Amino acid sequence: MSKVTSISVCAGAGCVSAGSMAVSAALKDAIATRKLNVRVVETGCLGPCVGGPVVLCQPDGILYQKLAVADVAEVVEKTVMRGEVVERLAWKRAGTEAPTPLCADDPFFNRQVKIALRNCGVVDPLSIDDYIAHGGYEALNKALGMGPDAVIAEVKNSGLRGRGGAGFPTGLKWEFCRKAKGDVKFVLCNGDEGDPGAFMDRSLLEGDPHSIIEAMIIAGFAIGGSQGYLYVRAEYPLAVERLGIAIGQARKQGFLGPNILGKGLNFDLEIRMGSGAFVCGEETALMTSIEGKRGEPRPRPPFPAHSGLWGKPSLLNNVETYANIPAILNKGAAWYASHGTAKSKGTKVFALAGSIRNTGLVEVPIGMPLGDIIYELGGGVPNGKRFKAAQLGGPSGGCIPRQHLDVPVDYESLSELGAIMGSGGLIVMDEDTCMVDMARFFLDFVQDESCGKCPPCRIGTKRMLEIVTRICEGKGVEGDIERLEELGKQIRETSLCGLGQTAPNPVLSTIRHFRSEYEAHIREKRCPAGVCAGLVRAPCQSACPANVDVPGFIALVGQKKIAEALRLHRERNPFAAVCARVCFHTCEDKCRRSMVDDAVSIRGVKRYMADEEVTTQLPEVRPNDTNASRKVAIVGAGPAGMACAYFLARLGYKPQILEGESRPGGMPVQTIPAYRLPREILSQEVRMIERMGVNIETNQRLGRDFSLDDLRNRGFEAVFLGVGAPIGTRLGVPGEETPGVDDAMRFLREYNIRGSAPVGKDVVVVGGGNAAIDTARTAIRLGAKTVTVLYRRTRDEMPAYAEEIEESEHEGVVIKVLTAPLEIVAKDGKVGGVRCQLMTLGDFDRSGRRRPKAASEAPFVVPCDQVITAIGQTLDSKTLLGALPVAVGKDGFIIADKVTGRTSVDWLYCGGDASSGPSSVVEAVAAGERAAVAIDAQLTGAEHAFWRADVACNVPFNPDDEPSHVARAKMQLLAVDRRCGNFREVEQPWTESVALAESGRCLRCDYRETTCFK
Amino acid sequence: MPKLTIDSTSVEVPEGTSILDAARKAGIRIPSLCHLKGVQTIGACRVCLVEVEGARTLAASCAMPVADGMTVRTTTAKVRQARKTVVELLLSDHGGDCQTCVRSGDCELQSVARDLGITQVRYEGDRHCRLVDTSTPALDRDSSKCIMCRRCITVCNEVQATRALWAQDRGFQSVAAPAFGKSLAEVACVQCGQCAAVCPTAAITEKDHITPVWAALADPTKHVIVQTAPAIRAGLGECFGLPGGTLVTGKMVAALHRIGFNGVFDTNVTADLTILEEGTELLMRLKKALVDKQPVALPQYTSCCPGWIKFAEYYHPDTLPNLSTAKSPQQMFGALAKTYYAAKIGKKPEDLYVVSVMPCTAKKFEAQRPEMNSSGVQDVDAVLTTRELGRMITQAGIDFLALPDEQMDQPLGISSGAADIFANTGGVMEAALRTVWCVVTGTPFPFEKMHVAPIAGLEGVKEVSFTIPTAVPDWKFLEGVTVKVAVAHGLANADRLIRKIKAGEASYHFIEVMACPGGCIGGGGQPRFTDNEVREARMQAIFAEDEGKQMRMSHESPIVAQLYSEFLGKPLGEKSHHLLHTHYAARPVL
Repeated sequence: MSKVTSISVCAGAGCVSAGSMAVSAALKDAIATRKLNVRVVETGCLGPCVGGPVVLCQPDGILYQKLAVADVAEVVEKTVMRGEVVERLAWKRAGTEAPTPLCADDPFFNRQVKIALRNCGVVDPLSIDDYIAHGGYEALNKALGMGPDAVIAEVKNSGLRGRGGAGFPTGLKWEFCRKAKGDVKFVLCNGDEGDPGAFMDRSLLEGDPHSIIEAMIIAGFAIGGSQGYLYVRAEYPLAVERLGIAIGQARKQGFLGPNILGKGLNFDLEIRMGSGAFVCGEETALMTSIEGKRGEPRPRPPFPAHSGLWGKPSLLNNVETYANIPAILNKGAAWYASHGTAKSKGTKVFALAGSIRNTGLVEVPIGMPLGDIIYELGGGVPNGKRFKAAQLGGPSGGCIPRQHLDVPVDYESLSELGAIMGSGGLIVMDEDTCMVDMARFFLDFVQDESCGKCPPCRIGTKRMLEIVTRICEGKGVEGDIERLEELGKQIRETSLCGLGQTAPNPVLSTIRHFRSEYEAHIREKRCPAGVCAGLVRAPCQSACPANVDVPGFIALVGQKKIAEALRLHRERNPFAAVCARVCFHTCEDKCRRSMVDDAVSIRGVKRYMADEEVTTQLPEVRPNDTNASRKVAIVGAGPAGMACAYFLARLGYKPQILEGESRPGGMPVQTIPAYRLPREILSQEVRMIERMGVNIETNQRLGRDFSLDDLRNRGFEAVFLGVGAPIGTRLGVPGEETPGVDDAMRFLREYNIRGSAPVGKDVVVVGGGNAAIDTARTAIRLGAKTVTVLYRRTRDEMPAYAEEIEESEHEGVVIKVLTAPLEIVAKDGKVGGVRCQLMTLGDFDRSGRRRPKAASEAPFVVPCDQVITAIGQTLDSKTLLGALPVAVGKDGFIIADKVTGRTSVDWLYCGGDASSGPSSVVEAVAAGERAAVAIDAQLTGAEHAFWRADVACNVPFNPDDEPSHVARAKMQLLAVDRRCGNFREVEQPWTESVALAESGRCLRCDYRETTCFK
Repeated sequence: MPKLTIDSTSVEVPEGTSILDAARKAGIRIPSLCHLKGVQTIGACRVCLVEVEGARTLAASCAMPVADGMTVRTTTAKVRQARKTVVELLLSDHGGDCQTCVRSGDCELQSVARDLGITQVRYEGDRHCRLVDTSTPALDRDSSKCIMCRRCITVCNEVQATRALWAQDRGFQSVAAPAFGKSLAEVACVQCGQCAAVCPTAAITEKDHITPVWAALADPTKHVIVQTAPAIRAGLGECFGLPGGTLVTGKMVAALHRIGFNGVFDTNVTADLTILEEGTELLMRLKKALVDKQPVALPQYTSCCPGWIKFAEYYHPDTLPNLSTAKSPQQMFGALAKTYYAAKIGKKPEDLYVVSVMPCTAKKFEAQRPEMNSSGVQDVDAVLTTRELGRMITQAGIDFLALPDEQMDQPLGISSGAADIFANTGGVMEAALRTVWCVVTGTPFPFEKMHVAPIAGLEGVKEVSFTIPTAVPDWKFLEGVTVKVAVAHGLANADRLIRKIKAGEASYHFIEVMACPGGCIGGGGQPRFTDNEVREARMQAIFAEDEGKQMRMSHESPIVAQLYSEFLGKPLGEKSHHLLHTHYAARPVL
């Protein structure tokens, strides 16, 4: 390690508010007391705002974060005096939490190209001498020697485009202004950065004010202007202060004022403070504001280049645009143009904000894929959440969803997707963001910020806001989306200025990319992200596809009212015991307790509740003779069909279920191994449904034993198809026909239904989902010596539950990630191995994940005598549907209405895997319930789903009490050596005290003063 | 000259012409709600949108200059839909009680909506907050009807320099109103009513005096008389579909008789009287300056315009000594009606109810100034604008166009042509000059048709000077003196002129100021819509009325002579001083 020569302390507004000035003082003090020859410089923004206060030790570039005054002595003694890194304080690379003290080792730093920000974090913004020492004002000197036309030519050739957002070629703008007639011309700088989440300009003004001043002098020289105005919002006091100091210094040193550098140029600058009206970022409004009037735009033409400030030709550029100018003149247009893309040259600064690990400031070459900015530099989305969208360009911009993460960030590509480059605000949103709510927020912002001059912006955005608000409150009506689109389009076309023309963008862009989310709010009265208060009673309940009253049953368990809790659960989901074992608990992902420590173990409490069930608890059933006489057939006795039957039975129907296999239960009985779901558990809940008057006939396979037409002929008024997706997808590699290759569906069904399945000695399972893990663990239990799971992506991306993967490894399963099968290698006419290719991650694909691509390593063979593929499931719709004209999607699944489950044939309903593709038990239950409600509504002409009404939970709750401090309880597992050779249930029961403590962790988000008593 | 195609028509117009004007030339009428030719071109209302080939968005035709080779489309589906949406949005935020609105049938928003074929408003929702301001005697504001076209703001600030109305708040709540949530009465509003005259809807209207007038007419204890200002006769016809500048003096008198006024008189009578009082005052000031060599406030400013008076009280209090102390003709009439005339018919002042019909809203304010009660009670009880009189005639069921011509009643019904031209900018000055010239020189007024051309017309500030060749003995000191006079109309013009004078860049003896552009014929109470074409036509009508009279000079009026001999004594005499003169006081600007 080299000897530390200087220490940069970030004095950007973010770090200052985190306490960097005190750290700086302490550093200076510590260094002075120890009489060390190290310079401490308070610089502009270093970039990684998330770690503020940050301190950079040069020349090696050792970065310390979240430094407190108390840490200073240690840093000085260890790093400065002894050349050691203090790992505890070192910058941590996002996601890995590994200390990465050297900036050069972290993509957040090493993938940046700093041109505009070249001096930020390097020079002392309060010292013109420091600026000059770093090459400052050389560009001005050079420009004065070149002459105005050559300067403009250089800017034009550089390809620099306006960094305020619109991307107009800067050189061309300068040329227009130079050619404009007029004896007085003005040079203006737009520092009215108003987008929520954007702080590029502020950081530049704070961190490198002289580069902006220098660029404006050059611009004045180029266009023939002698007066400039820096328009900076009053909310940026630090920027205004530092700019003011810099202007004073520049004037004192002869860079501003008459006869600059003795070359006859006269130019001076003044700061004008704006009062923070977003519209003043619009050029004509900005100029009106400088003139001292209400900041409002005016029609163009005349364009500012001809008639701008006080009617004189005026050149207006954004702060960042100016920041590039000295670098372009110093290093040449060709050098600048070597960065970026064909149409968008150079670099762009982005302010990373929102749900991203490395919030802060980055500068990257234009054209870098969005995914790289978010994942490589930004470190991805924190807290295990899934990336949902990035909002670029603030309220005037648009969002880019997961499927376009590979978009190169340049002006044209972004606008094709309905977003804009904007000034560089980049707000990352994760799965917990409701896009309708987000659109409402931005619309509210522009509505507030509208100057009120033209009706489309003044009234139109208000009307849009009213519609969006209504949707968020659950009062949306059919046609609202179309109304928003139409109104948005009209506002875009008719508004006076850019603010109005772009005001509908957040709505139009979210409708474009997240239409289904709007539809969920309007049609299903559901906020998928669990955000909109009018639609979300509690986030867990909202996240549950079946809308189970989670806080309710958790609270009842806490009161030891197990029977009541079970009845409450079965109001919406009959399979309390099944789901207690197999549910993938989306409820826990949304649990607000995770903001305190960890989510409540909802599935754990449910498991306890189910374990404690003595006599089967059924909720209300309303007998109805008329309904009982109505004939409804249900094909498939899986969770979807059973749930449909269950809810129909609660309304007094006596539906008939036809099941193809010999045992009812569907996928849970056929493919979920008994160590996860003991057979008896499922049988109990199946029997419960049968006892409600549901008749199940087994060994009745649709397409073999009967057809849908037969059912009609037998007098069934409505039919529900819950046939699942029972066929394994083929791998599509050579050698797949070799004996010893099987698919997981067949393998698991074989074992679970018929009791035995052939298992090899060395088994390879291909796939990364739950079926793959179930297969691997079943194979282990059936005596396989080795089981290897091949998955072509990374472990993070495996769809199987993390805990299942982990337990499979404990049982001896080997997981090989980034490995793709190329060919099944035969040996003696049977499977001898799988030729594999190591993969590496490439571009982002439509799923928002990085697409695996072949790595450079040569293929290799994994020897084995059995290959089981578990890469997907489908169904044979042709055989099932026969000649009936039912609409089927491109993916082979049956198209059914999201709200009613009705197919294109009006008496035929469908739900579960057969229409949604392979999904969960609880999704299937929800689909069955929806179809039951719709079938009843079709047969009776009215909706009778009495269980859908929210019932206030009458368990006492005092919101003022401190939340319990108990940590999340873990599931108890059977020891590995006691489970590997058998199918005994792995997860073990909780004791009462654990369950009660866990239920006490619930924050009771369902609590409303009117519905709960203290 | 750029040549362009609008729809299918080829048009050639001068450089700088807007698409809107070029279209008009091509016979295409593009609707607009905010545009005010020559006054406001801000492209705010978005109703005049057109498609310009090659442009990214639709263009506001009022603000977009033509370019050679331009192709413009004004009736495409896109344009019609855009205009419709914009107007629907305006309607969705409009306190729409069309049936009972005072502007129904005379509302630009209503007619634009009708012209665009809007039969339903697809976007409903909140309305911006409603503020009703009835604080001033002249103007009422109802912000719920404001469509933020900003005509009032521009007129108030740029034409009148009054600075009472501004755009307030932002976004949906933005509204044209005085600053800081003040009422109009609390700010420096001169009540000229130009805002009401340009308002496309009923967001700003004159204060209703129709109701009290009908009540007085129905009151058997009241003797109700009416005076009509000279500008009314050139404007009233427009309320009944006649072209601007149609003289309807006789029909107006007939209508007033039919409405039931006990006496129909002419404000012209006291206009003539004003000339004598104000002219004498000027001569006295000149004498004091030139003969007595005493300090005296010169130039003298006219004082017939209440908007101007209030403006001076707010913004130029140091010029108040320069203002003629003569009351305006309306107030002279009121004072004489409740003294001289009341005595003549044997009534007490309080039993007389004096109504005036004025082209002006500020007259409503002037009538209730506390000092305007020389008769012991308020001299003028109610002031109807021309528009209000039009509405009263309609309410009375009178078929105005079918009326015969009738004569004003006596004794206050005969006047000179000089009184008529009070209605025009430059008219008071010309009337004064006619009399002063004759009195001073004893020779006929030497201008063609007796008009002083340099101070007629719509130029904002006009001036003329002439040397007095000979003078009668009383005024001998004026012989050889070059008299310099100026005329300003539109308060912003007046403001500029006064600043110039204060800066020593100009000097005059006598200055006429009229608050409204064009003078009273363009007053804030005149029928809508008043543009320069209409102003010009009304001015010509007034000149025609003047020229049609035998008696062209105020001092020739027998009524004036009778008033002095029977009642007043002499100009600037004690009785005149009491009844016909007033005083002014500075007013704080917020």
